Amino acid sequence: MSPVAGKSYPPVESTIEREHVRAFARAIGADPEAGVPPTYAAVYALFATAVQLYGDPAAAVDFAHLLHSEQEFTWSRHPEVGEQVVAEGRVEEDVDRRNLRFLTYGTDVLSSGEPLCSSRMVNVIRG
Amino acid sequence: MTTELEPFVWQVTRDQIRAYAEASGDRNPIHLDDEAARAAGLPGVIAHGMLGMAQLANFVVAYAGDHRRLRRLRCRFSGMVLPGDTITFTGSVVSEEDGLVRLELNAENQKGERVLTKAHAELKAG
Repeated sequence: MSPVAGKSYPPVESTIEREHVRAFARAIGADPEAGVPPTYAAVYALFATAVQLYGDPAAAVDFAHLLHSEQEFTWSRHPEVGEQVVAEGRVEEDVDRRNLRFLTYGTDVLSSGEPLCSSRMVNVIRG
Repeated sequence: MTTELEPFVWQVTRDQIRAYAEASGDRNPIHLDDEAARAAGLPGVIAHGMLGMAQLANFVVAYAGDHRRLRRLRCRFSGMVLPGDTITFTGSVVSEEDGLVRLELNAENQKGERVLTKAHAELKAG
């Protein structure tokens, strides 16, 4: 059994900030005035909580050999600028196959207690 | 009947990869520093998978007309995306039922290599 499969991390609260959303939209080539781009979920869902996993000594993630292999986002709805959201991450799977470590990380994002977005990320780490 | 989406072409540049690193907060050196990327066994800096997925979302949102229709987006990052690459996104509507429109999507580089596989989106029916 792997050390961190099933482990969850404390909720992280963040605010969807207008200037940050605009900068993100410009960086990806989206309209900065069209609201929150869907993959801004990389910020409020994914990285908000993935840093907890990557910084966890028990998880021992070799960041230099880590590749993002798969990603799925599911939205109940999309956040609006100014909204406060809470993201909570957990390790869904941590397995070794053919000298590769497959680390699946799920994040659920709530707003005012209601589901907003969920993320499922698969990282592959070369041994 | 299958509806094809209007293809979308993405020219990948170092400047955009740097801008994405800043805007997203993902400053992994494999996206910013050729030497660090080579030390990790890569040919040089590569684009963030999430920058490619952002282009996939732009492509789908252009079809949907409003990002708020997007219910699900998924892909596997099957190939490296490098500065200078030209990525062409294609897709089609494969079903429309229970108020959801399902799209199957693809992304290939200028050599015809798929850089995204298992790419799907679901939209709320418009």
